[in-house]
Amino acid sequence: MSAETGSATGVASEGRTYIDQFPGEARLVRTAFWSSFVALGIGGLMGLVQVLHRADVLRVIDSTDYYAVLTLHGVLLALTFTIFFLVGIFTWAITTSLDRGLEDLRFTWAWYGLMAGGTALAAIPILGGLTDAVEMSASVLFTFYAPLQAHPLFYLGLALFVVGTWLAGLDWIRSYLAWRRENPDERIPLPTFMVLTTLGFWYLSSLGVALAVVVFLLPWSLGIWEQVNPLLTRTMFWYFGHPVVYFWLMPVYMMWYLMLPKVSGGKLFSDPLARVVFVLFLVLSTPTGIHHQYLDPGIAEGFKFIAMTNTMFLLLPSLLTAFTVVASMEHGARQRGGTGTFGWLRALPWRDPVFTGMALAGVMFAAAGFSGMVNAGMNINYLVHNTFWIVGHFHLTVGTAVALTFMAVTYWFLPQVSGKRLWNRSVALAQVVLWFVGMVLMSNAMHRGGLDSVPRRTAEPQYRGFEIEPTLGTMAELDAQIVLGGTILFVSLVLFLVVVVMTGLGDRVDDLPANEYAETLSGPEDAPLVLDNLKLWVGIAVVLVVLAYALPLAAIVDRGGLFGPGGSPFPVFVGCLEPTVSASVAFLGDHLPAAVSGWW
Amino acid sequence: MRISPAGLLVVLAFAVPALVQARTVLAFAGVHVSPLQTVLIGLLVLTAVVLWAVAPGSGTEAPSEPNGG
Repeated sequence: MSAETGSATGVASEGRTYIDQFPGEARLVRTAFWSSFVALGIGGLMGLVQVLHRADVLRVIDSTDYYAVLTLHGVLLALTFTIFFLVGIFTWAITTSLDRGLEDLRFTWAWYGLMAGGTALAAIPILGGLTDAVEMSASVLFTFYAPLQAHPLFYLGLALFVVGTWLAGLDWIRSYLAWRRENPDERIPLPTFMVLTTLGFWYLSSLGVALAVVVFLLPWSLGIWEQVNPLLTRTMFWYFGHPVVYFWLMPVYMMWYLMLPKVSGGKLFSDPLARVVFVLFLVLSTPTGIHHQYLDPGIAEGFKFIAMTNTMFLLLPSLLTAFTVVASMEHGARQRGGTGTFGWLRALPWRDPVFTGMALAGVMFAAAGFSGMVNAGMNINYLVHNTFWIVGHFHLTVGTAVALTFMAVTYWFLPQVSGKRLWNRSVALAQVVLWFVGMVLMSNAMHRGGLDSVPRRTAEPQYRGFEIEPTLGTMAELDAQIVLGGTILFVSLVLFLVVVVMTGLGDRVDDLPANEYAETLSGPEDAPLVLDNLKLWVGIAVVLVVLAYALPLAAIVDRGGLFGPGGSPFPVFVGCLEPTVSASVAFLGDHLPAAVSGWW
Repeated sequence: MRISPAGLLVVLAFAVPALVQARTVLAFAGVHVSPLQTVLIGLLVLTAVVLWAVAPGSGTEAPSEPNGG
């Protein structure tokens, strides 16, 4: 490790806040954040409705509407909340680290508008599922593959949302290329490197779901295709469905690498190690989706084994992150007087909700990693597949590692992009701690319930004539724990929204901390140049995807056809012409060779 | 106080998963603790932590915290 050279991060801000440096971009980031907070509020409320409904404590909806509520919860939280926050963070990362504004803010607002419009279009049919007043619904859950079918507006909205993210990526790449022309010999600044590597696998993986929506699901819902191949659309969904987890996680990792060391009072332990981690995610994120399909009968076990192996390799960058981030925190604590093997923990800034929220999120993510290993193992996955265990797992990942980190860093970002002081640090601190406690209670009961075969995705987990016998305690006890945890989480969510709204209503001040992120102990000068060769890493990622997916997809299409067994490649509206076309093809097949040979 | 109020809050928060998971771990070892017993033991533990934290310290106060961001 080199001496404490540190990179020149944050120097360019010259003590100014982000809104002073980039007022136009700050407005965009602020708007993206508010979009994500609205999604978080509505999605969180739907979560409370489900918790109370499943436990039969309070039923404000009919059980037949449960899937509409579940879809709203999943889509708003897993896609809208996370990705709107991500585009805000990535815009901040690009502009701050390159020290330049975006090239054309009209283009920037265009992609934001596309994302917002897409969200609104997708939400209309989901909400329509809650009322009989309109003839539309999209109760297809966050995992929207066939055979469940949604109203075309849902698929159209999703497609627009994804295209919006693609254009956002182009906007950031455009900024990077402009910077590169002016700085041909500079290393890519770490935040920009993180954005670019994340974009690499996002383009690669979201192409799958875009094709599934545009080629199959949207035309099918419009009645153009009579049927689709459910296994094919399911595989194409999971081709995107697992990498999207890392799409949420990469901005979280970015915050753990760039902000956590800074608020700890120290420096990032290693810039090169951070680059290695992001390269590994770029390469390994996508060829893993089949591990969600271990129980699908139409995919051979060998392909599933390949997906499992790729997934297990993903533990490496997560463990590297755990090491680097904890080392950076320890460095910060020791810089501020912390001593001893564990005594340095006391010197960490636990009073700061930004730090405490991120640290607690990291602890929960470690637990999520362990339950994720169970999910990823082919044999033990059979024990927990489609049970409440899975719900417990992803409430630790997206529901805590991502959501809690996003909420915690909001307390740093909101003053930066609004120029207003955080309303109440003590309430903010209580909020992040309450989230941690609520999630411990809820996810623990979900994991335990899953081990006892409590099903997920149902309004009625218990039914007449079938008794679930938990290994430990009773079902009523598990339900009580989930209701308690869910209620605490909702209280925490309300506190979060109170803090951000009150902050938004505050007055502009001019004594806020500068827009800076962590300097490094070992800087980019210690990183091999090959790490910045993004074309190489994207190329390897493509090769791995081809190796993991070419044969399974070919086998699925070979066995069931593009449109499923008995499906026709002819659109429904030309279906009446199909006999004529088929007869013509058969006629030509019979007579053309003879005619051609005679002609020769 | 031996630790800061914020530190105490975080220690109490960390005690919750320890208590919840301890009950599960004990069950694996054949020791069954009822929910009511867990709550009572939990309250005792949390009270003990609070008493320890607010008791006069040994003179080694926690290092001061920066204002953060």
